Amino acid sequence: MAVPAARVGLHPAATGGPVGLRRVFGPDHRMGYLFVMPIALLVLSLVAYPFCYAIYLSMTHKLVGLPPVFVGFENYVRLTWDGFFQRAVVNSFVFTFSSVGFKLVLGVVMALVLTAPIRWRSFWTGVLLIPWVAPTVVSALNFLWIFDGSLGVLNYLLVRVLHVLPQGIGWLSEPGTAMASVVAVNIWRGFPFFGISFLAGMRAIPAELYEAAAVDGASVLQRFRHVTLPGIRNIMIIVVLLSTIWTFNDFQIVYILTKGGPGGTTMVMPVLTYETAFGAQRLGEAIAVALYLLPALAVTIMVLARYMRKGRKR
Amino acid sequence: MDRRIRQLAEQLDAHQISRREFLRATAAITGGSTVGLGVMTRMAHAQGPKLRVWLFKSYVTAGNDILAKQVEAWAAERKVQIEFDWATFGDREQKFVASIEAGNPPDIAEMNYQGPMRYRPALRDVTKLVKDLAAARGGLLPFAERVSQIGGQYSGIPRLVFGNGLHIRKDLVAEKGLKMPKVYDPDVVEIAKKCQDPAKELWGFGQTLNRSDDGNGFMQNILWDWGGGTWDKDGKPALATTYLKQNLEAVQFAVDTIQKHKIQPPGVMSWTDVHNNEAYMAGKLVCTNNGASLFYAMGAKKHPLYDKTQVILTPGGPAGAFVASNSYNWGIFKATKHAELCEDLVRWVEDEKRFEEYMKACSGQAGPVYKARADHPYWKSDPNYEGMLQNILRGVWIGYPGPITPAAIEVQAQYILCDMAGRIVVGGLSPEAALKEAHKRVEDIHRIRSRA
Repeated sequence: MAVPAARVGLHPAATGGPVGLRRVFGPDHRMGYLFVMPIALLVLSLVAYPFCYAIYLSMTHKLVGLPPVFVGFENYVRLTWDGFFQRAVVNSFVFTFSSVGFKLVLGVVMALVLTAPIRWRSFWTGVLLIPWVAPTVVSALNFLWIFDGSLGVLNYLLVRVLHVLPQGIGWLSEPGTAMASVVAVNIWRGFPFFGISFLAGMRAIPAELYEAAAVDGASVLQRFRHVTLPGIRNIMIIVVLLSTIWTFNDFQIVYILTKGGPGGTTMVMPVLTYETAFGAQRLGEAIAVALYLLPALAVTIMVLARYMRKGRKR
Repeated sequence: MDRRIRQLAEQLDAHQISRREFLRATAAITGGSTVGLGVMTRMAHAQGPKLRVWLFKSYVTAGNDILAKQVEAWAAERKVQIEFDWATFGDREQKFVASIEAGNPPDIAEMNYQGPMRYRPALRDVTKLVKDLAAARGGLLPFAERVSQIGGQYSGIPRLVFGNGLHIRKDLVAEKGLKMPKVYDPDVVEIAKKCQDPAKELWGFGQTLNRSDDGNGFMQNILWDWGGGTWDKDGKPALATTYLKQNLEAVQFAVDTIQKHKIQPPGVMSWTDVHNNEAYMAGKLVCTNNGASLFYAMGAKKHPLYDKTQVILTPGGPAGAFVASNSYNWGIFKATKHAELCEDLVRWVEDEKRFEEYMKACSGQAGPVYKARADHPYWKSDPNYEGMLQNILRGVWIGYPGPITPAAIEVQAQYILCDMAGRIVVGGLSPEAALKEAHKRVEDIHRIRSRA
């Protein structure tokens, strides 16, 4: 049975209608809409509309200068059976997970070293942040020179100075080293972000916890496992998730170092998207490449987040 | 933020004015600014038409400067405002794609051989202008005739073709008592093996097969040299069908230069277009295929290898010596409101006196597209230029022996042939498997482009 508002002690203004809105949002609530409208329009026009339009375009045959022709899921079906695309998918996962894995380990090591009582700690913190601060394009171009087979610094050191190798290696051109080299640059570029984030987390762990653990007879490793790791787990979740997204979308390092070559050995999804858009100039298919792994990536991130949260509850 | 709006905001914070007054005043200020901008725009229009011109920034900087000055001189003469922009090897196509899709292309642009074919829907028909220019210059050379038109309708106005050739260390070749090479196998292989000294990091041949214009050009040329090709006479994919046997031999040779003959430096499969220039100028290569920009760079820097270098005809194979001569073109966009001015500008810079000034600054890079320009004494003034000229004159077009098509252009743009070589050298595929894989990609491109 419906109960009148008055009987339950509610003011009529709180039950809805213009008077209710005024009470909840204040006398200027209409003006509020006016102020919210620009940002709402901005989000709709700059995020929602382009995203929906991209989904539409991915289902078209769109060539430069010509109107799009709707082809349904044809682009996605074609990509599914395309060997070059399949290799790019595998490469993307190899590139992303190997990079993030190494960055995680190196980041923890960096944070542990910087929390230890070492001399000139601030100086070393600054030095270790350089790869993160330097523009990616500049770093990648430097590595292009470092890895150069005939003029590169790395081969010069290994062959001429250290005499470790009889002859230089084509770091970016051989099956065993091309992907490893681009991964190495990504790790070099990204691990300071992990390290500095973990460092902030570690400094927030109360010293009493370590003292109590030490009193209980916990070894250094046990203190790391049972005090430090749980203390930075939340930060770890965020940093790993962010880095996974950034690494998966990393374009500059791979494009500058190898352009996805040789023979597609280092072709990853962002570079393939770019090549399909500007090389092949098939815009519909390029967007399909970009969107193809969006659901899979979202699921991966959700699973990863859930797994790490589960660990925290334990 | 506008100073007046900031003051109003401070007054609002201090409750000196109501919110309504604040909104009214800010609306008046922003509206006033908009009107002011409109007035300024109209004033700018009154100063004469404005032309957006995109030029190509090549490595031959002296040529770039001269062309820019010529365009500026034309603008001053015709009282036209010019808005310059430069496209480079790295961002040329991206800029065209973005501007065409945004509906905001330049009025006129310098574009490579891919432009007239790829941006045809956005380009004006310039048939009459091309025919006028060609008629006054003895006609177009055969490759240029092919590149910029379909069915007699021209989308681009041919301007020049990059001179190129095998840059070879004549001092080293003479030292070993060898002759200049005519074919890759055995001539180049023999010279490379005899002249190289890996212990001193001197390599016989520097030719990447990686994703680059250099890699593309070499792979395409050697398929033709061995009697094969990507396309048949009807413009259908032929990599692993009609020309399978010939292509297999050609691809095997390319791979052998790295794996069997070991005449290429380590890392050559990761090279881009600049790496062979750098390696050659660092004295680490006996020979390398390149455009005239390498010869220009050595001359401009007074490099010690300039006098020790000979530019000769690109070597060939069992079926002959083939190179693609890809012309650079002017494209006038349909969106322009000043088509006549654009055509006038083309006539101005293509004037023979002005082109001569440009050509002489380009050290062989500004090769002829018109028959009369091929007879210019400049090309006989230096034996290196002579080599570049002969290379241009015997050139064919992308898609040869069939017609040049958007599909043939896309195969180049997607580096299909380079990927094919990479799959063998780095991916470990057999040449036949790599050819079949590449053929499938070419068929896909052909199917998609034919539908368009």
